Amino acid sequence: MSVSLAIEAKGLFKSFDGKPAVRGIDIAVPEGSIYGILGPNGAGKTTTLRMLLGIIEPDEGRRSLLGHERPLEAAKIVGYLPEERGLYPAMTTREAIAFMGALRGLPLEIGRKRATILLEQNGLRDYVDKPIKSLSKGMAQTIQLFGTIVHQPRLIVLDEPFSGLDPINQGRLEHLIRDEAASGTTVIFSTHVIHHAERLCERIAIIADGQVRFEGLVSEARDRLRPQVRLKTRSADGPWRRALPADTRLIDGFWQFELPAGGIEPLLKALLDGGAGIEELSIERSGLHDAFVAIAGEQAAKQMEAAERAELGEAA
Amino acid sequence: MMSVFEAAWVIARRDFIATVYSRSFILFLTIPLIMFGAIVLTSQFVDDRTLSQPQVAVAADSATVSALAGARARLVGGTSEFTFPKLTAVAPAENVAVQARRLLADDAGSYSAVFSGTLDRPVLTGPTKIEENVALRMNLIIDDARRVAALGAAGRSTAPVAIQRVVTEQAAGNLQMIRQDLARAVQGLIFGVTVILATLLLSNLAEEKTNKVIEVLAASVPLDSVFLGKLISMLGISFVGLALWGGILGLAYLLLQIVQDFVTLPVAGPAVGWPTFVLLVLLYYGVNYMLLGALFLCIGGQASNIREIQTLTMPVTLLQAGVFFLALTAVGSSGGTLTWFAYIFPFSSPLAMIAFASESATVWPHLLALIWQGAWIVLTIRISSRLFRTTVLKSSSGESFFSFLHRARPRG
Repeated sequence: MSVSLAIEAKGLFKSFDGKPAVRGIDIAVPEGSIYGILGPNGAGKTTTLRMLLGIIEPDEGRRSLLGHERPLEAAKIVGYLPEERGLYPAMTTREAIAFMGALRGLPLEIGRKRATILLEQNGLRDYVDKPIKSLSKGMAQTIQLFGTIVHQPRLIVLDEPFSGLDPINQGRLEHLIRDEAASGTTVIFSTHVIHHAERLCERIAIIADGQVRFEGLVSEARDRLRPQVRLKTRSADGPWRRALPADTRLIDGFWQFELPAGGIEPLLKALLDGGAGIEELSIERSGLHDAFVAIAGEQAAKQMEAAERAELGEAA
Repeated sequence: MMSVFEAAWVIARRDFIATVYSRSFILFLTIPLIMFGAIVLTSQFVDDRTLSQPQVAVAADSATVSALAGARARLVGGTSEFTFPKLTAVAPAENVAVQARRLLADDAGSYSAVFSGTLDRPVLTGPTKIEENVALRMNLIIDDARRVAALGAAGRSTAPVAIQRVVTEQAAGNLQMIRQDLARAVQGLIFGVTVILATLLLSNLAEEKTNKVIEVLAASVPLDSVFLGKLISMLGISFVGLALWGGILGLAYLLLQIVQDFVTLPVAGPAVGWPTFVLLVLLYYGVNYMLLGALFLCIGGQASNIREIQTLTMPVTLLQAGVFFLALTAVGSSGGTLTWFAYIFPFSSPLAMIAFASESATVWPHLLALIWQGAWIVLTIRISSRLFRTTVLKSSSGESFFSFLHRARPRG
C-alpha cells in the first residue's frame, strides 16, 4: 500500500559561501505523522527545513510540499515556527495570531475569533489584549505557536520548538503536537533533544554533518542495537564466567552485555549449570539515545547533550 | 497561494496600522509643520532685521542732514526700508576725520561708515568692504538730494507721477515665471516628504529584521509582496500626512482670507489646468515615492541593524538630492540633453514630469511617463527582493526573474 507523503525531498544540497551545509538530504514524511529531525547544532536541520519551505532554494535536488513543487503554493495549508522566533512587540497577542493567520490567507476577523478561542482554551484569556512586549519569552513563543496553527494547516513545521521553554510549557507543546496529529495534521519538527523525538515521533531522520544518517521508524532506529542484558549473579567468580559473551562489562555489580543472537535461554542454562546463581536479570531494549550514538557517532551525541544542557540552563 | 497583491495588502495593512499608532508617526506629522512654522517666523524676523541694517553716521550741518534724510525717505518709498542704510545725525566735531575714526571704532555706535562734508563735496569714511552695501547706496541718496536741491535752487520741483494702468488678464513672462515657481515648489515639497519617508521606510525594514519577523514573512508570502506591501503602507501613511498638512494649510488659508481679504489664489495656473495638475502631482508623487522607496528597501535590506541603517541614510539622502537637482533642470528648460535625461531617467522622471505638467498643456506624454515609471517600480522591487533573498537569506532565487507575472493570479 502506498503512503501519501506530506513532504518528499530528494538529494537536497546547499552550500553557503562555498561551504556545504546540507549534502544530499532525502526525506519522506507520511501524511498525518509526527516526524522528527534529530541532529546536533550545525548539522543542517534548519537549512533543510528552510529549503523545504522555500525560504531558501536548494543548490541541487528537489522537494515537494503537500504535492507542490513550489513550497509557497502550499503556504495556505502550512504552518511554520522558525527557530528564531519573531513577533511585532507592539502588537497584541490576538492581533499577532490573527496577522500570522492572515499571512496564510485566513481572513482577519476569523483569525481574531480563533485567536481568542486558542488563548481561552489554553488558560490565557487575560492575555488577549496584552502587547507581545509585555510577555515572557516562553509566553511569546506560545503565542507564535498559536499563530502557526491558527489557519488550521495540514502541515506544521516547527524548528526547535522546545528550545527556550520551561518543562511545563514543553509538556503543553507535546500535548498540542499530539492533538494536531490526532486530527490528521502532519507535524515535522527539528530538535537536538532526543527524548522529545523519542516520546513524540513515529518516524525520524538523524542528520549529522549535513547528511541523513538514518531515516525511518523510531523502532527501526532502536532495533539497530541489540537489547542490553543486565545480570547480577550470587557468585562473584567461577568457571561459569566463560559462558558470558566477550563484550560483557561489569558496571556497578551488574554484568552488562548485548542479548546474544541465540537468545537468553542457552546462556542462562550455562550460568545455572556453572553455579553462578541468578539474583537479578533484566533485558532492556535500546533507547533512541543509544541508537543515535550508534548511528551519528559519539561526537554528535556529545554535542546534542551539551546543547540540551545549555538550553536547560537558559530555560531555568 | 495568495496573489502578490493580496499578500502585499496584508503586509501593508499591518505596517500602516503599526506606524499610524506609533510615536514616530506623530513626529512625522509634526516635524514638517514645525519646520513650516519656523520658516514663517524666520521670514517675519528677517523683515524686522533692524540689527543687520547698515548704519551711517552723518556728521554734517543740519541742512545737509535734512537734505539726505529727505532723499532717503523718497528712495525708501519706492523700494523698501532695508534697501538703504539707516542715517543717524551726529554733531560734527572740529576735526571730522578724527571724529569719523572714533565713531567707527565705537562698538556701541555700530556704524558701518561716516558721512562728512557737503552734498557737493561728500566724504564717506569706512572700510573697503562697505563699497557694495553702503557706498553705492549713499551715492544714490546724495545724487537724489543734489537733484532736488538743484531743482529747488532753479525754482522748480517735480510732482509724483501717476502711472495709468491698463489691466490685462496675464502677461506671458509673468505666467511662465509663476508656472516655473509652481513646478519648483511642488518638486521641493515632494522631495522633502520623500526624504522623511525614506528614513521611516528604512527603519521599518530594520525593525522587521531585528524582530526576526522576516523569516515568518518569507515563509508565508513572496518577498515581492513584503516589499510591495511596505511601499504601499508608507505611501498610504504619506497620504495621511499630506491630507493633514493640506487640511491645516487650507484652514490657515481660509482664516487668512477672513482676516485679510487681499489673500487670493494666483489667477495663473499650471498649463494643464488645476484639476489635471493636482491629479498628476498625486500620481507622480506616488510613483516617485514607490521608485525611490523600492531603491531604499534594496539598500536598507542589506543593513542588519539600526546603526547600519543610519550609516546608509546619508548617501541615500545625497542620492535623493542629486535626483532632485537633476529634475530641477527640467523647470523652464526648452530641451537639451540634461533635460531629456531628467525626463527619461526613471528616478528623476516623476519630478521632471511635474515641471512638464506645469509648463506644457500636452497631456499624452504623462501617460507614457507613468507607464515607463510603473515598469521601473516593478523592476526595482523585483531586483530588491532578489538581492535581499540572495544576500540576506543566503539563497539563490531559484525562479525566473519574471515569475511574478504568473504569481499575480491567485491559484486558491
